[in-house]
Amino acid sequence: MNEAFSYLSEMEAEKGNLIKGLQLIQTREGYVSDDAIRAVAAYFGTPEAEVEGVLTFYAQFKRVKPGKYKISVCDGTACHIKGATQIRAWVQAELGIGDGQTTEDGLFSLQTVACLGCCSLAPVMSINGTVYGKLDRKSLSRILNEYKAKG
Amino acid sequence: MAEMKRIKVGTASCGIAAGAKAVLDGLRAKAGSVPVDEVGCMGHCYTEPMVEVELNDGSSVFYAGVNGSDKDIDGILSLSDNKRFTFPEKRSKLEKLLVTRLAGRINPVSMDEYKANGGFSALAKATSMSPEEVVNEVLASGLRGRGGAGFPTGRKWSFLAAKKEADKVLICNADEGDPGAFMDRSMMESVPYQVLEGMLIGAYATGATRLFIYCRAEYPLAIKHLNIAIAEMKKAGLNLLPGRTTPLEITIKEGAGAFVCGEETAMIHSLEGKRGTPRFRPPFPTDSGWNGLPTAINNVETYANIPVIFQIGAAEYSSIGTEKSKGTKIFALAGDVKTPGLVEVPMGITLGEIVYDIGGAEPGTVKAVQTGGPSGGCIPASEFGVKIDYDSLGALGAIMGSGGLIVIGNNRCMVETARYFLNFTRSESCGKCTFCRVGTTRMYEALERITTGKGSMADIEFLEDIAPKIKKGALCGLGQTAPNPALSTLRYFRNEYLAHVQDHVCEALACPALVDVAIDPSKCIQCKLCVKTCPVGAIDPVNNFSVDNSKCTKCNSCIEVCPKKAVSRVRKQSAK
Amino acid sequence: MPEILFKIDGREAVAQPGETILTVASRMGIEIPTLCFNQKISKTTSCFVCVVKDIKTGKFLPSCSACPAPGQEIDASSDEVKDMRRTALSLLVSEHTGDCEAPCTLACPAHATVEEYVRAGRQGDFRKALEIIKKRIPLPMSIGRVCPRFCERDCRRNIDGRPVSINDVKRLSADMYYDDYMEDCKPLNGKKVAIVGAGPAGLSAAYYLRLEGVSSVLFEQMPEAGGMLRYGIPEFRLPKDTLRRELAHFGKMGGIEIRCNQTLGKDFTAEQLEKDFDAVILAVGSWASSSMRIPGEELAQGGIQWLGAIASANWQNCKNPGRTIVVGGGNTAIDCARTAIRLGGDVTIVYRRTRNEMPAQAIEVEEAMEEGVKFEFLTAPAALEKNDDGSLSLSCARMELGEPDASGRRSPVLIPGSEFKLAADTVISAIGQRTVVPAGFEASKRGIAVNADDFTCTGRKVFYAAGDCVSGPATVVEAVAAGRKAVLSILDAFQGIAHKEPYEFNISRGHWRSLAKEDLVYLRKISDAKRIEPEYIPMEERKTTFHELYPTFTQEQVSAEADRCIECSCTGKHDCLLRKHSQKYGVSSDAYKGSKPISAVDVRHKYIIHDKQKCIRCGTCVKVCGEVINKSLLALMKRGFHTMCDTAFGQGFPDYCVDCGACVKECPTGALDWKKKD
Repeated sequence: MNEAFSYLSEMEAEKGNLIKGLQLIQTREGYVSDDAIRAVAAYFGTPEAEVEGVLTFYAQFKRVKPGKYKISVCDGTACHIKGATQIRAWVQAELGIGDGQTTEDGLFSLQTVACLGCCSLAPVMSINGTVYGKLDRKSLSRILNEYKAKG
Repeated sequence: MAEMKRIKVGTASCGIAAGAKAVLDGLRAKAGSVPVDEVGCMGHCYTEPMVEVELNDGSSVFYAGVNGSDKDIDGILSLSDNKRFTFPEKRSKLEKLLVTRLAGRINPVSMDEYKANGGFSALAKATSMSPEEVVNEVLASGLRGRGGAGFPTGRKWSFLAAKKEADKVLICNADEGDPGAFMDRSMMESVPYQVLEGMLIGAYATGATRLFIYCRAEYPLAIKHLNIAIAEMKKAGLNLLPGRTTPLEITIKEGAGAFVCGEETAMIHSLEGKRGTPRFRPPFPTDSGWNGLPTAINNVETYANIPVIFQIGAAEYSSIGTEKSKGTKIFALAGDVKTPGLVEVPMGITLGEIVYDIGGAEPGTVKAVQTGGPSGGCIPASEFGVKIDYDSLGALGAIMGSGGLIVIGNNRCMVETARYFLNFTRSESCGKCTFCRVGTTRMYEALERITTGKGSMADIEFLEDIAPKIKKGALCGLGQTAPNPALSTLRYFRNEYLAHVQDHVCEALACPALVDVAIDPSKCIQCKLCVKTCPVGAIDPVNNFSVDNSKCTKCNSCIEVCPKKAVSRVRKQSAK
Repeated sequence: MPEILFKIDGREAVAQPGETILTVASRMGIEIPTLCFNQKISKTTSCFVCVVKDIKTGKFLPSCSACPAPGQEIDASSDEVKDMRRTALSLLVSEHTGDCEAPCTLACPAHATVEEYVRAGRQGDFRKALEIIKKRIPLPMSIGRVCPRFCERDCRRNIDGRPVSINDVKRLSADMYYDDYMEDCKPLNGKKVAIVGAGPAGLSAAYYLRLEGVSSVLFEQMPEAGGMLRYGIPEFRLPKDTLRRELAHFGKMGGIEIRCNQTLGKDFTAEQLEKDFDAVILAVGSWASSSMRIPGEELAQGGIQWLGAIASANWQNCKNPGRTIVVGGGNTAIDCARTAIRLGGDVTIVYRRTRNEMPAQAIEVEEAMEEGVKFEFLTAPAALEKNDDGSLSLSCARMELGEPDASGRRSPVLIPGSEFKLAADTVISAIGQRTVVPAGFEASKRGIAVNADDFTCTGRKVFYAAGDCVSGPATVVEAVAAGRKAVLSILDAFQGIAHKEPYEFNISRGHWRSLAKEDLVYLRKISDAKRIEPEYIPMEERKTTFHELYPTFTQEQVSAEADRCIECSCTGKHDCLLRKHSQKYGVSSDAYKGSKPISAVDVRHKYIIHDKQKCIRCGTCVKVCGEVINKSLLALMKRGFHTMCDTAFGQGFPDYCVDCGACVKECPTGALDWKKKD
């Protein structure tokens, strides 16, 4: 197996752990590359095509390297009726990227997610897991500027 | 004045998002010898972060909407009146805190505290009975699955108990996928032991040897708390049930982002490391489930109900609720209400009581609620007198669902709401069966045409023709319920569809293709904030602050920044 | 375990434990369509085309996976069940991209399988090409010369140049093998049909009747058979020796009798035919010239009559028409003009719209211009007068194009004050023809009224009608198609079956105008040569004789031309279950409109084409490759609407694919198929 993914041996090589293996790789690498798929296929004794089939079924997995700051705009029902579409449009306008894309400097990537479970704070987004609620135009700009300043 | 015994800060996800960590740090820095503990969520999410100060006399003082500033921290520590919180009277009267009794009141990861509050007494009681008696008790309680479909839990357990295999599987469905529901997250974050206790009782009753918790990866705190709780329980030997020689295997598996995995056969496939596609039933999982073993799946809230049944007894439990729906239901109340949050109410309460009395919405400002998320339907305000149970909501074209309850204000568009839900289901469809894979996309496309002003009566006719067929034809629950949002809005809000199609009018001014943005010159002070904010340069300061609506993306930035509320959405000029 | 007793369609049914409803139904002879069901692999339960209804619960079940319960009552055949199946098929079709048939084949009014005979031509097998052609075109020598080539208009080679010269494959194949080619005709069965009119429609009817063992007598009012081919189309377009060679074949078939100089209502009556024959087909054509509705019209000659007179004289010793004005823009007008040129005339065509709107074939207009025919476009005749010297004077007015009319063409509007006069020796009115409906038959707007389902004449059971006399003036290929359709209806009637036009399901990638080169599938390297151009006889010869315009191309030329064919049709068209069921269930290819998933066609494998646009996502190939062959080279990727069967990393089949073709064999559509056609 590819040395780079030897940490897979942390878990038992049984088929039921395949998704967990992919999750581990994504946690470590930020995404799942072709090589990673080959490594998982080899480790779990599963055909490469099947591993890719499993991976592409689930929305969690990224096939390209995401930005340093991963912005998830929540489009759950509560957020949606409270203006999630606008929030996403504003983020896109400020960063110049579309849904699922990463800024050229590799700083930000944007994705729309189903629900962060913070419906009472709608509309919300999260950046690298930190949730920001009750967003409006101003607070959104402020938050993005803070991250831009951090670099 | 009584002495402070202990301070509790709500640090569930909603609390943290509202800034509870800063409050926690502030209090810990200044509280001296008074212990400052983290607790879960009390359900009053609208006013997070919340702090409870326990006094030596057994009473408590609550603070809400606090932040980490010295003023707030000092105020709490001096028990000042600033930001003191009293529970709204109307809500307290209507709520019945049975399952969520301990949520937000105890340290979620402390087994001792759970025990001190009656935790694991139900397990002790259950294991003093025979497994058959336990199943019968659950049957007698009338508990129905809280995941949405409402199948009697006792019956499901009896199927699994009847299986003779040595290895059996019990799964906890914690893949709360309904966008707009957060009951399960809150329960796992706030009272993980209670959920696990329910599972242990289930394992005892059914003879299950292997437990899985299939939890959304988006819930890191819930997973963290469950992991701690499982470790603690193992340490305490609770994973070895009376009469057993082998301890239970308890595994948490993180979902990977697929709503359809809430369907039991899909979840089993996912647990097996496969694509989360459902399969045709029968065979039912209780006959052939995870790796072919007999398997039963219950939802988080269902498990959280089990200890309550054994604490108060099936008889008392079944005295709560309606004839066919027993006990309480936790709703995640959100949307256009003043006080969104988690509420636990007895079955049989009316929708109006939840929306107006608990949620604080002004009558007349709400036009509908959406229950059951993408699988459910919109119920118009005229039907808010309905007593909530599984069957009454079904009769209205909605479903109980897992408990998401989104209140939709008068200023929202129902067609756009239906489009939103169909967009959700079509992107969450597993793609296996024709009716769901293609049907939901075709429905979405028709709704998209209508909301962008390109719709025709043929689109409405198409929706009405195809929707019942998808319901009848789709393989699993996702597809079978996917048309509900469109069907229920067509049923109650057909006039909105007609306005979009015939007049190209969106009354709610929500559909961008059917609105213009206009600036009221009598209010405008020419501050140019809108001009600076506009991402596409659609506002011309030279030409009387006119908006070029062909450029405008309807992003609302100008509307948000205008200090004088001079900018607003208006009906598109070309509308009939 | 005990047997399970239940009911299907009200009949008692018995299932062994574990048997599905589908298995039991098929044992009972109850047909349930399936796409994703395959006994070699575990259940896929994907297509839902096999749904049946549980009558008691009202639920629909996929019969391939559902096992019956005791006492269950299954509905497998009601309209409601069929409607659900049709819906499932329609949904599948709505995400399907492909061409069941090539656009040329679909464009051909006779539905000749163009792609197939062009391929035979490419392979140099012109005998086989003729065999394919004659399945739908019984007059290939003639049609190979005079057809307006509907097929070429829709040919996808138009995208990057000019269409394949399809009709020349037909012409060569017929020229090469016509004399010694003979089809297998069924022995005569005693049935006899009378056909009135030995033109293309009548001859076609006689041909297809004879193939099925039915004899016929053709009653022709002219001295020779051929109809429009003999008396309408001039010698230079279709030499009559060639036509006679073609007609000789009908005699050789045995059982087809042609009686010339027999006019309906004069030499025989409809009632006589009804008495003497098992069925009668009216194929009397459309021979009356339409009126110009101008004063002095009687001074003009009807175009078709004028051509007919010259044809009767065999293009010999005919009078020079002098200054000739032909009014009209159709093929007859062009034929008149070019005939007049050859007789030494000075010819002008007067047409009220522009060249773009002319119904005549563009190539013929061009040829006419080359030969010296002059055109007065946007000109309408207003009156015809005879001058004292016997010459004619046609008053005309200029027109401009206004709003589009019912035909979609912009209608001409008179420009006031633009009147002028044209001097002429001969004026020919060729603005159209109409049908003279025989006495005792009902008329429609265009000709003889027929029932749309079975082509019987309205109110007359044993009488059928076909060709121009029904449709109004049309093309030879349309006439032979109509003749064949009438025969199919008659054959059904002989069997006592109510005839219905067979429904053929076809889906198309779209018209070439909406497509790019890259949207098409190429199974082989196609020739990038330019379209072949005919070698015309010298212009002087063209203008002064009635010699055929150009000789038939050589075998080498035609094979090279056929190598330009893209072969657009689906490799799986003959065994595609989606098409088969859609046909049976009357699915329309555009019942549900919407987006289709975008995916590339993979032709990297040496023998296998993987056209993902035709995939129904059943995953049968995935399971076959995994469960049966144990290779697992394919997997279902992504989810929802974007679900797709694919190879790892989209890299195509790897080197270790054993080319076993199991996936190809089991694929219910043409998504996975051998690259080879035939």
